[in-house]
Amino acid sequence: MAAALQEPSKTDSHKDGTNAEKTVVGWQGMRCELPPEWNVTGFSMDRESGYLRVDSPGNGTVTVQIRWTNAAKPAQKQPSLYTMFAPHFRKLFRQPEPVVPETDLKGNLEKVLKDTAKLAKKAKTTFESSIKAEKIEGENDERISINFAWSGAGKGQGKIWRCKTCNRVVVAQVVGMGKDQNSISAIAAQLFATLKDHSEDGYDLWGLYDLKLDIPEDFRLESQKLLSGHLHLAFIRQAERIVFDRWGLANMTRKKFTLPEWFQNSAVTSLKKLQKSEAILSSGHEAVTYSGKLSLIARAQTLKESRSLRRFPTRYAGGVWECTETNKIFSLQVCHSKNTQGLWEDVANRCFCHSAAETG
Amino acid sequence: MRMPLKTRLYYGVGRHLPFLKIRPPEVDRDAVLILRPGRNSSITWEQQTTGETILTIPLENSSNRGRINKFMSRWFRTPDERRVELDEVGAFVWELCDGNLTVEGIVQRASKKYKMNRREAEVSVTMFLQMLHERKFIGLYKKVQKKSQGDRVV
Repeated sequence: MAAALQEPSKTDSHKDGTNAEKTVVGWQGMRCELPPEWNVTGFSMDRESGYLRVDSPGNGTVTVQIRWTNAAKPAQKQPSLYTMFAPHFRKLFRQPEPVVPETDLKGNLEKVLKDTAKLAKKAKTTFESSIKAEKIEGENDERISINFAWSGAGKGQGKIWRCKTCNRVVVAQVVGMGKDQNSISAIAAQLFATLKDHSEDGYDLWGLYDLKLDIPEDFRLESQKLLSGHLHLAFIRQAERIVFDRWGLANMTRKKFTLPEWFQNSAVTSLKKLQKSEAILSSGHEAVTYSGKLSLIARAQTLKESRSLRRFPTRYAGGVWECTETNKIFSLQVCHSKNTQGLWEDVANRCFCHSAAETG
Repeated sequence: MRMPLKTRLYYGVGRHLPFLKIRPPEVDRDAVLILRPGRNSSITWEQQTTGETILTIPLENSSNRGRINKFMSRWFRTPDERRVELDEVGAFVWELCDGNLTVEGIVQRASKKYKMNRREAEVSVTMFLQMLHERKFIGLYKKVQKKSQGDRVV
């Protein structure tokens, strides 16, 4: 592993620390900016069709809800022999994929409003909604969107759109109580101005609880643990894996353990036969790194877990570093194939652990 | 917070027979954050050089025990006090439980000192205070607005 890692990409807007006063939220390719101290409180693991909820600090009466589905994929029907084998035969005989009918945005929106109206009926309040005309927006006119607002059991302002680039249909809304009308409008304006449904540089932003981590967009979230003081995210691409951990209260941990000792307990493989070295990250932190070939036992374990031979990992790269500015310990581990050398360095340099304000 | 056995049974029935619609009252987050934790006056504590704090909790006075209890404790030589070790963060929170600071205040101080996310700090601190309260190491007080009534124990 190289002693000094590559320079960070200049396209990374969140690396310059200018967003310190905002909360940057990123999940499954969705990313947005919200006021400080807003936190992710609900999410789904699925990328194709998912859900994200972000709550305001304090009472948490104002929430941001984002739902998305992949418009390019037909709605899931009961699995049958036809649905299992048809894609393979199409590939074999070079037949084109069946055309998916274009998503009816208004129909989708009416469904959302119908569900909201049901809640209002339950709360025995009158429900009113307004829908604005369809419009085309985005830098490359890639979005067809409809704005809407409703009032019933609370108030909400939202937007539904379909993105031609990523084929996602997204419903984003800011929901609050009747008294929150002003803050709903302000947050909705900020949300819709910053909400993006796909990455532009090939990396998905995973941003939550002050963490900003860029992972190549073809990696899928495999597992997560969001505990107070410990954050764990594991990603998978065929058989390759990225495992990220963050622990709080680093100053207390460091009193009892050194970084390598701490890392040994969380490493996905034995570190005994791996080459130990040091590296300077783009954030300025010194990382203790381990790299080398995966043992046969580790490879067998990977095969058992992933059940795929594509991009089969034969190499391991892992590292641990302490961010004194945020009092946290970070660890990043990558099990990769021979062809994806440099993945650890790439991801480690795109891990934003502290802002410029915290450094000062 | 520990509920009386009768109440626990009542809500237990409600949990297993949902059609009865018996649900425990929802705890309001704001109401919890304005409570003031105060230490149990019978507990003594000593700070170690390593940063940890050892609490000494006197066990129930032998004069209050029943005959069988007295006999058994003499027979098995049970200790008169119990010791509990708090780590550095626990000790920090314990020191702040003086009845003057609210839960919100403690959360803010812990968040600032240990550079934790506000939400992470709130979850950790409230869980820890709940645990202390269940063991009767602290009491939670609510400051009443009217000066004449003084503080009231929750």
